[in-house]
Amino acid sequence: MTERSSAVLQIQSAFPDLTAEHPSERVVQYRVDKSRLPEVARFLHEALQGRLALLFAVDGRPFEEKYEIQYVFSVNSQWVLLTVKLVGQDRLFTSITPSVHAAQWYEREIRDLFGLIPQGHPDLRRLVRHEHWPKGTHPLMKDFLWDKAIGRQQGEYRFRHIEGEGVFEVPVGPIHAGIIEPGHFRFSVAGEPIMQLEIRHFWKHRGIEKLFEQQTLTTALPLAERVSGDTTLGHGLAYCEAVEKLFHLEVPRRARYLRSLFLELERLHNHLGDVGAICNDTAYTLAHAHCSRMKEQVMQLNDRLTGSRFLRGALAIGGVTHEVSAIQQSELVDVLDAVERDFAELESIIFANASLTDRLETTGVLTERTAWDHGVVGIVGRASGMDQDVRRDRPFAAYGELGVNVALYRYGDVRARLRVRMDEIHESIRLIRDIRDKIPQSPLVGTSDYQPQHGEWALSAVEGWRGEILYFIMAGDNGRIHRCKVRDPSFANWPAIQWAVIGNIIPDFPLINKSFNLSYAGNDL
Amino acid sequence: MFRILKKSLKTGIVTGQHPEPAQSCPSLTPETHEKALPFTQSLAIREVDTGSCNACEMEMNALTNPVYDVERFGVHIAASPRHADALVVTGPVTVNMERPLKDVYKQTPDPKLVIALGDCAIHCGVFKGSYAVTGPVDRHLPVDVRIPGCPPRPSEILDVLKRLKRST
Repeated sequence: MTERSSAVLQIQSAFPDLTAEHPSERVVQYRVDKSRLPEVARFLHEALQGRLALLFAVDGRPFEEKYEIQYVFSVNSQWVLLTVKLVGQDRLFTSITPSVHAAQWYEREIRDLFGLIPQGHPDLRRLVRHEHWPKGTHPLMKDFLWDKAIGRQQGEYRFRHIEGEGVFEVPVGPIHAGIIEPGHFRFSVAGEPIMQLEIRHFWKHRGIEKLFEQQTLTTALPLAERVSGDTTLGHGLAYCEAVEKLFHLEVPRRARYLRSLFLELERLHNHLGDVGAICNDTAYTLAHAHCSRMKEQVMQLNDRLTGSRFLRGALAIGGVTHEVSAIQQSELVDVLDAVERDFAELESIIFANASLTDRLETTGVLTERTAWDHGVVGIVGRASGMDQDVRRDRPFAAYGELGVNVALYRYGDVRARLRVRMDEIHESIRLIRDIRDKIPQSPLVGTSDYQPQHGEWALSAVEGWRGEILYFIMAGDNGRIHRCKVRDPSFANWPAIQWAVIGNIIPDFPLINKSFNLSYAGNDL
Repeated sequence: MFRILKKSLKTGIVTGQHPEPAQSCPSLTPETHEKALPFTQSLAIREVDTGSCNACEMEMNALTNPVYDVERFGVHIAASPRHADALVVTGPVTVNMERPLKDVYKQTPDPKLVIALGDCAIHCGVFKGSYAVTGPVDRHLPVDVRIPGCPPRPSEILDVLKRLKRST
């Protein structure tokens, strides 16, 4: 019996009155009554070990006077989708945060963007809308104009306070000392150790999901590439995969191999940069200098291959825009062979340095339990023993034919996150060699005549360098986008940092933060 | 220790090993040159992100790597606006970042330059018109230098900074 049917069978035996629908491959959908939802969600999370991967709302207007709330659980390698319908003037839904902790930010986000209220949520402060946004501003409601200028009101965010002798607060941000993105961190400390960290984000909220709704399915790729610049290709690919599912479009094999190649190049330049940056935050600038040199090499390579250092414009709906010739491929592999030798030497230098490893070990430990509770994904999850990688579990692009070795560490400290990156650098270079050997000949772009109807939707997952990127796209009329939900891995991982830093000293925070290296842009949308 | 030395010797000097800037940025106006006169010896930059996609940040970071090594031209990145001669602003100005941007500008001592880096900072790029975007940087601050690109390559940023420092 396959895993797929076993999950369905277990749900069937626990809830005989629910009927499974199979809207697409690897997705099973249940329409659940509002009052029963917490029970079903809890069953999926606790009994079936389902990870809450995504939670979002869809405004059904102008076609139907309803809101739908979609809960996406990852059970084994299958998506289980629970759909709750709010009809007419109903604006309330029951919070699942008390039993599924990972839902906390998603539910607050739904409240801010749609004005739907998660009843029983333990924390109903604003998340995306900062306090100066006027009351009643819910931008993803269909009757909210996308280009409306929002006014300003008085208001103040209430941080959680810890009181006691010798406890004081350290506010950091939104503008930081280095060249990094804006975000606010509020530490409560007694002496050196951190007792509590509260993250206040969404300074960079640009209304991306609303901007998607102004576009058509075929024109929104440049916007997807700019959700988070360092993951240009990851986001672009996830967007393309979802749109191609809607168009029932088969991507030619060569294009799928080239997509994997580009994705690995992106992983490579980011991981090389991160290894250096982690070392730099322990003041070991030598490793930083070498790593940023190698990163620059890979980015110049990207530029030569596609005309963009970030691989922008390399993808097209249905395929890729740039051919990589056999000569370019052998040049590519030669450069990467040199980078790998170079990097291996650096690795032994790094780990021979006791004062460096002393800073990395036992710093910023994220336990497997905490990681699981937050539904953490990607490198951060793999450093805390969560064995998951979309490339292996739900193969996309050419990964079904390539085979990926997943790096896995258990300790969850900064060193483990560094090791995951180092292993993945070697694995990426191995994959690129493999791609060069196996790449078939075929056209670069596929086409399709199918036009998706209003209400059809698709869900796609891509393992970007940071982790699992999810896109849910629902088609509207005339090829327009009715709803596009974007989930960068950062959104799932940010809250976990608040737990990883507890007990560490403030000077180690930059190091811990760097070892997570999450995107603010992808989180704030 | 020996290994580190060996590694450094083997690597050699990589500074300057980058392609020439492909597109040349629009030339600087005489007013900008005059405004930049106090900074011909050294220029301290404070980078402010007001809503970019973070690609511009990555390219600013790349300026400090050994290949571009911006410090050899007397340009360095300051940790506080109070130590800065120039603000480099990236991204469209979001509703939430409007106040922090104005605060930073106020805290930067005069005389100062404002450099809008990237298409988003110049005309909001793909984010133009959104409810959460208040407009390009020059709607809020007087902008002296514009560096177009999405994102501009480090060699192009370097080229503008070098010309700014020459100021003749």
